[in-house]
Amino acid sequence: MEKVAIIGVGITPFKARYLDKTYFELAYDATKLALEDVNKQGAEITHKDLQSTVYGIYNELFERQFMPDIFINSYIGMNNKPGTRIASGGATGGYTVRMAFAEVASGLSDLCLCLGVEKCNDCYDVQTGTTTPEVLNAIAYSADMTYEYPMGMMAASSYVSMVNAHFEEFGSPTEEQMALVSVKNHGNAIKNPKAQSPMKITVEDVINSRIICYPFKMLDCCLYSEASAALILANEEKVKELKIDNPIWITGVGAANTDCFIGNREDMGRLYSNIYAAKAAYKMAGLDYNKIKEQIDVAELHDAFSGQEVISYEELGFVPFGEGGKWIEERGPMRDGELPCCPCGGLIGCGHAVGATGIMSTGEAALQLRGDAGKHQVIIEKGRGLAHSIGGPGAAYAAIIIMENQEAKK
Amino acid sequence: MEFQAHQIKDILKIDYRYTMGGQSKFFIELMNNKKLLGTKCTKCGKIWMPPRINCSECYEPAEWVEMKQTGTIDVSTIVWYTTSAFIKAIPYGIGFIRLDGADTAMLQGIFSESLIPSKVKKGKKVRAVFQKEREGKMTDFFFVPEDEYEDWIAKPEYEGGSE
Ligand SMILES: [Zn+2]
Repeated sequence: MEKVAIIGVGITPFKARYLDKTYFELAYDATKLALEDVNKQGAEITHKDLQSTVYGIYNELFERQFMPDIFINSYIGMNNKPGTRIASGGATGGYTVRMAFAEVASGLSDLCLCLGVEKCNDCYDVQTGTTTPEVLNAIAYSADMTYEYPMGMMAASSYVSMVNAHFEEFGSPTEEQMALVSVKNHGNAIKNPKAQSPMKITVEDVINSRIICYPFKMLDCCLYSEASAALILANEEKVKELKIDNPIWITGVGAANTDCFIGNREDMGRLYSNIYAAKAAYKMAGLDYNKIKEQIDVAELHDAFSGQEVISYEELGFVPFGEGGKWIEERGPMRDGELPCCPCGGLIGCGHAVGATGIMSTGEAALQLRGDAGKHQVIIEKGRGLAHSIGGPGAAYAAIIIMENQEAKK
Repeated sequence: MEFQAHQIKDILKIDYRYTMGGQSKFFIELMNNKKLLGTKCTKCGKIWMPPRINCSECYEPAEWVEMKQTGTIDVSTIVWYTTSAFIKAIPYGIGFIRLDGADTAMLQGIFSESLIPSKVKKGKKVRAVFQKEREGKMTDFFFVPEDEYEDWIAKPEYEGGSE
């Protein structure tokens, strides 16, 4: 297997709506930014040097286009080269990074573009005169259409079921503990110029915000966003050829699809996909599930909902089961805590541009490891970071990427 | 000059005649006889509800079995903001219900005169209530707390099951 490095990161601003860009125009912008990032390090490459593309695009109904990847392929000048599209719900981004990694690790491609985009807010609900209910409906078609969609199941009610079951078992996360995630991530976003929802708020603000789905409140939920994110991945030979001095090596990729029917699971208060994906990724990277918190500097987690971030602390092995809520009370995942989680603001702070999100999270972790995260840079000592993507019905899909800056360790 | 966006109205719509395939019997018995059918694996004996005619664990057929129409709430929520298709129905309760004897739980609507979290909590006993007008869909039935069952089936649009 070839070694694989992230040598370029391009992330557009996350916005409520781009009136001035289509999805393929946004994808072009992120690609251009990623190429510029490679060239900032002294290389001179263009899109013509990229040998293949892996596309992360979740929802055809958002884009008002089936097979949107082929139209992007044309617009970004990648004709007559291989392009593969990944769609794995909220985990689309992480899974896309995994497949782009495989493309390079296998030797199929020396220089691969990993490109995610989503543009949801062209959906419009005529009856309320707002976008969100129609965006949520376009997502709700991802629930099982026979048994679950007709019951009014949607993303928030799916996640809240697992969070409520977790609370029944452990008495955590409480509403206050969940609110702390929202305060943290909206607050972290203040230092990220690309974030959609930077806000200085309090636990009370979260608890007093509008109820969405008991006990999730408005500020416990991420906003759907429009954005694109791109990574350029290279094998070791290309890294040398292009004289990249700060490659961020992908040392572990783990993914798992758990049962999409929550009712089939042995334990409803678990996001099992998280556990299997984390263990696989750590094993590949030679890291220890029980010591992972001490082995990495930064974690970009998939915080679509605050309570889910708390449970993820446990399932990714940062703290024992049932102690995620206590860990955030003790400031563990804060910028200055034991292991900063979502220093860019995560989904709650940046917004959730589904296909782009996990690629943004991976790119953000890579920038942190390179020391190029800007105002939201955290301290890097071990040279390792993690990006986490989860989604789909009952959070069935999960993918985890481990990255390492081998220069930082020297 | 300031950018001017051009927007168009559009809609995507497809009509279907979707077959429930091997699951058809569940919907036919629900519609015609107000029965809830699960399936039992011929090898491991696992009872699937919602039903599947093959056991995904053993790769052996599963046979139809009639289920009890009472069960327990495993987990639930009350929805106050939702998709365009359901926004007129808020607030509504949904939860995973484990029918007595089943090895899996099914998502269903939980109706209650007082839709408060404590009323639809984990462990509450519930019972199925059926629409009088049924179409062979999941919306043909829902669950209510057992102590409200008589009140719900007394309403003109609903009735009790065949159990
Ligand atoms: Zn079986």
